[in-house]
Amino acid sequence: MHDTIDPNRPASYAAANRDIIRVLLQPNLGWLALFLTATAAMIYGGYCWYLQLTWGLGLGGYNPPIMWGIYIVTFVFWVGIGHAGTLISAILFLVRSRWRTGVYRASEAMTVFAVMTALLFPVLHLGRAWQVYWFFPYPNQRYLWMNFKSPLMWDVFAISTYFTVSAVFFFIGLVPDLAIVRDHSKGLVQKVYSVLALGWRGTGRQWHHYMAAYGFFAALAAPLVLSVHSVVSWDFAMAITPGWHSTIFPPYFVAGAIFSGCAMVITLLLPMTYAFGWKDYVNLWHFEQLAKMCLLTSGILTYAYGMEYFIGWYSQNPYEWAIFSWRATGEDYAWAFWVMVTCNCIIPLVWYFRPLRTNPVSLFVVSLFVNVGMWFERFNIVVSSLAHNFNPATWSYYWPSEIEWGIMIGSFGWFFFWFMLFLQVLPAVAIAEIKEMIAPPVRGAVEAK
Amino acid sequence: MSAAASRPVGTRVKGIYAHLDSFLAGVERLKSEGLTHFEVLTPLPRHEILEAVYEGRPSPVRWWTLTGGVCGITTGFLLTSLTAIQWPMINPGGKDVVALPPYAVIMFECTILFGALATLVGLLVHCGLPGFWLDSSLKDPRVSDDKFGIVFLRASESDAPKIEAALRESGAIEVTSGDDTVYEVSNV
Repeated sequence: MHDTIDPNRPASYAAANRDIIRVLLQPNLGWLALFLTATAAMIYGGYCWYLQLTWGLGLGGYNPPIMWGIYIVTFVFWVGIGHAGTLISAILFLVRSRWRTGVYRASEAMTVFAVMTALLFPVLHLGRAWQVYWFFPYPNQRYLWMNFKSPLMWDVFAISTYFTVSAVFFFIGLVPDLAIVRDHSKGLVQKVYSVLALGWRGTGRQWHHYMAAYGFFAALAAPLVLSVHSVVSWDFAMAITPGWHSTIFPPYFVAGAIFSGCAMVITLLLPMTYAFGWKDYVNLWHFEQLAKMCLLTSGILTYAYGMEYFIGWYSQNPYEWAIFSWRATGEDYAWAFWVMVTCNCIIPLVWYFRPLRTNPVSLFVVSLFVNVGMWFERFNIVVSSLAHNFNPATWSYYWPSEIEWGIMIGSFGWFFFWFMLFLQVLPAVAIAEIKEMIAPPVRGAVEAK
Repeated sequence: MSAAASRPVGTRVKGIYAHLDSFLAGVERLKSEGLTHFEVLTPLPRHEILEAVYEGRPSPVRWWTLTGGVCGITTGFLLTSLTAIQWPMINPGGKDVVALPPYAVIMFECTILFGALATLVGLLVHCGLPGFWLDSSLKDPRVSDDKFGIVFLRASESDAPKIEAALRESGAIEVTSGDDTVYEVSNV
């Protein structure tokens, strides 16, 4: 059982402070190498975008009828990655799941940075990126309002709300921990953390209202976990394009998002835990729970993939059946389809064996496969349906251009730039909540909460 | 306002505890003696502490959340409907000019957004954040480490001795009166 952090080592509140804070502002060579690689990738992506702005969207690989390509694929990928953080921090908080404590802070950070990355793509997708503000409702000189009946406009509201609520939830959760860092630092560093901690002092009054507000934030964020990717799925499902126009899309997308998000949490946190020596706070038990979550959502996804084929066959809709047959057997993209099935449906099955879902190497490698598989899932959905639409005369082939690959690599650079920075400047494990898992100092018998 | 008028009336009395059970005993002892105008300092939000001090009283933050949510759903409805009515000839997809099913998505998102932002404002207001101007006796770095504290900001001259006795007898490891010392914990 894991009711306390490590039954063999009775941690104390002060030890938790020390263990988690000691890694802050201590960049080592490994961190520096990763940070500089991320920065270089980000700069390369920025350069590619500069070329696209200068020469136009023609530098992307778009040709009618395939006008949504890698930018929308990667947009959906990052929104999906952003799901696990809020699931872990909000829904698992509401159901009082104890394993969330060690991993939720880094997952929340991952969510915020993933959504920040996703938000780049609608802008990158625009030819005239400087007019992105047309997305937002304001009384304008053109006397025009946007069409609120369009799923694309729902998406603007859904993603903006998700980002705002996730960022607020993330920051509010950080405040007590920032106060701890402030109290353990000196000079200019202390002044900076002092401002960030908003003068938090851990008074009863502060905790009383904080706990109430935290519960409300969690209750507000929980439905967003389900709604955001449902709204993203409607970007596709509301269109009559074969392969997209399906009522199964919202639950299918939400399950996929949780699947990819949990896998990304494993990919990010496993090396972090070992690098920082935090096995007392985040250990294989936490990763096993994440692997179980992946197994559940992998099963749902496999069912959804199968059900798409069943509906295509059972409905006797020739267009539906044609696109699904072509996805699996067509010479253009069948390989991408089978990469998706292998990575999302078959490889995760190894986690049904306990020794493999409690093995760090297996956890890390399988999580990488899931990340790859989930990117290809979006590639299959977005590209194949557009390439093979109703009119055979317009059927076409799309493969991303160098500029598009550059911008996608840049998005990974942007994400890891922020995540690596986060590991150095903010406590990546929630100290105040970790303390709730530690037996309190008592004069009488020692008992965990 | 004169300098004398801005000076706190009464004496600060503060007790620091190393153990949770002693701290809770101190809170109960003070409450039983009718000395309830104190603030507590804790390194974490343990429910038994909040229960002992607030006795189940709900936080008013909930009203901020409710108000924000109601304002959000109203704003979502008005924004979508009024802007559609401004151009009633545009009728995409054959839907009604004011079509609730598609607008429900915007209304839902606005409810959550406004509710969350109002909760944030409510939290800041009721917690007194930013709290840079809190009394110095509440600024004790030992509390963010592992200590618990009970602080009377304005204890009357007659109550101060009783409070000090209650704190000491319940197991406080340090009791100070009228003390402005800024404590430091060792740098990690």
